[in-house]
Amino acid sequence: MALVDRYLHAVKFWLPRNQKDDIIAELSEDIRSQIEDQEAAIGHKLTDAEVEPILKRCGSPMAVAGRYLPQQSLIGPALFPIYSVIIRSLVLYFLLPWMLVWLGVTIFSPDFRADHPGAALFASLKPWWLACTYSLFFNTLIFAVLDRSQARLHLVNDWNPSALPAVRDRDVISRGSTIFQLTVVVATLATWIQLDAFRSVFHIFGTTLTLSSRWPVFFWALVVVSLAGIGLSCLTLSNPRWTRFTASFRLGIDCYSFALFYWLFRSNMLQSLSASGLSFADAANFVRSFNQWTASSAIWVLIIGALVAFFDVRRILRVGPTA
Amino acid sequence: MYAIHYMSPSTSTDTQNDDRFENLRQELRRGSLPLAVLAALRTEHYGYTLRKTLADHGMAIDEGTLYPLLRRLETQGLLVSQWREEDKRNKRFYRLSPDGKLILKQLLIEWKSIHESLEDIF
Repeated sequence: MALVDRYLHAVKFWLPRNQKDDIIAELSEDIRSQIEDQEAAIGHKLTDAEVEPILKRCGSPMAVAGRYLPQQSLIGPALFPIYSVIIRSLVLYFLLPWMLVWLGVTIFSPDFRADHPGAALFASLKPWWLACTYSLFFNTLIFAVLDRSQARLHLVNDWNPSALPAVRDRDVISRGSTIFQLTVVVATLATWIQLDAFRSVFHIFGTTLTLSSRWPVFFWALVVVSLAGIGLSCLTLSNPRWTRFTASFRLGIDCYSFALFYWLFRSNMLQSLSASGLSFADAANFVRSFNQWTASSAIWVLIIGALVAFFDVRRILRVGPTA
Repeated sequence: MYAIHYMSPSTSTDTQNDDRFENLRQELRRGSLPLAVLAALRTEHYGYTLRKTLADHGMAIDEGTLYPLLRRLETQGLLVSQWREEDKRNKRFYRLSPDGKLILKQLLIEWKSIHESLEDIF
């Protein structure tokens, strides 16, 4: 019977204090009755090995004790779906991009690795860990509190069918946004052309800026992509739905644009600068700093471009081949 | 026919179906247990004999389910219990309270109505 006592002792540990003895007395009586019945059937005292299956059938001590406890949850089924959406959005649109950016910078930026040698590289993730911990902790805490007060505040049951949001078709492109994009692209293009932006030398407010010989190439490439953008806007104006063709077209334009800007940022864009009152040395310093800054920022262009491309690819997969 | 079925190798679909059936069967029986327990306790029983009575009637229930259920029904005032010595051992005897008798009567009417509705649907 030592095995039964050990089992009951283990169950007792998990039970509520004021019911421990009562529950254990009843359970003990049941188990001992089962053992007695079996002993009477086989005609001898049960060994520990024979008692073991009876106890196993009763269930693990924690599971047996758990059935006597009230069902409890930190966040109940009424609020859990909202909690789950918020946590998933937090991870998908905040914590994961942050981690990807950190990985991108760590892999592609030698300057960043040089500034954070060894363990300092992982220490640079500290804000990310803090953001994870705080956001998960406070979201859980807020929802646990709301869950406890939701019956009183009528958070879930007080609702109106006509106040529900309209069903949004994610494949529909709003004409308003298309017209806005079209206006911005056309206005920018017109301004650039009017300013003769394909030149390499600019005189602005008494300052002469000489840009890299790659600038005109960039400029004309940008004109091409802008014209492609205008073409896409015209297409979506005539058929304001994403199709596999228009979505792929969007992906192509975005990849091309970000690649173009990445190339420009890494091309020592500013060649020279001169202005009255500015010494040659100061101007050279400024040019060097500016080019260093654009070169080190190029990684961000790449990261943002990758994110945009990710969403573009998702859109292509969503619309499917039949659209 | 039985032998052929028994010897055929079980596939993952069979196992899945078995699991699904078992889950639904348990869910169905779980809903009927309070009624079975209340009905059985029209006569006084202690836990072990109650389990045996239910098992004899095809409603086998394990101790881990029965005792918490008895406790819940007693908390709701549907059962009354009393510790008494029998065969030199202390046992807790349960029986229906007056409220329990009333609720049992109502539940039986409801059960019959559900049964008739299901028969209609089948």
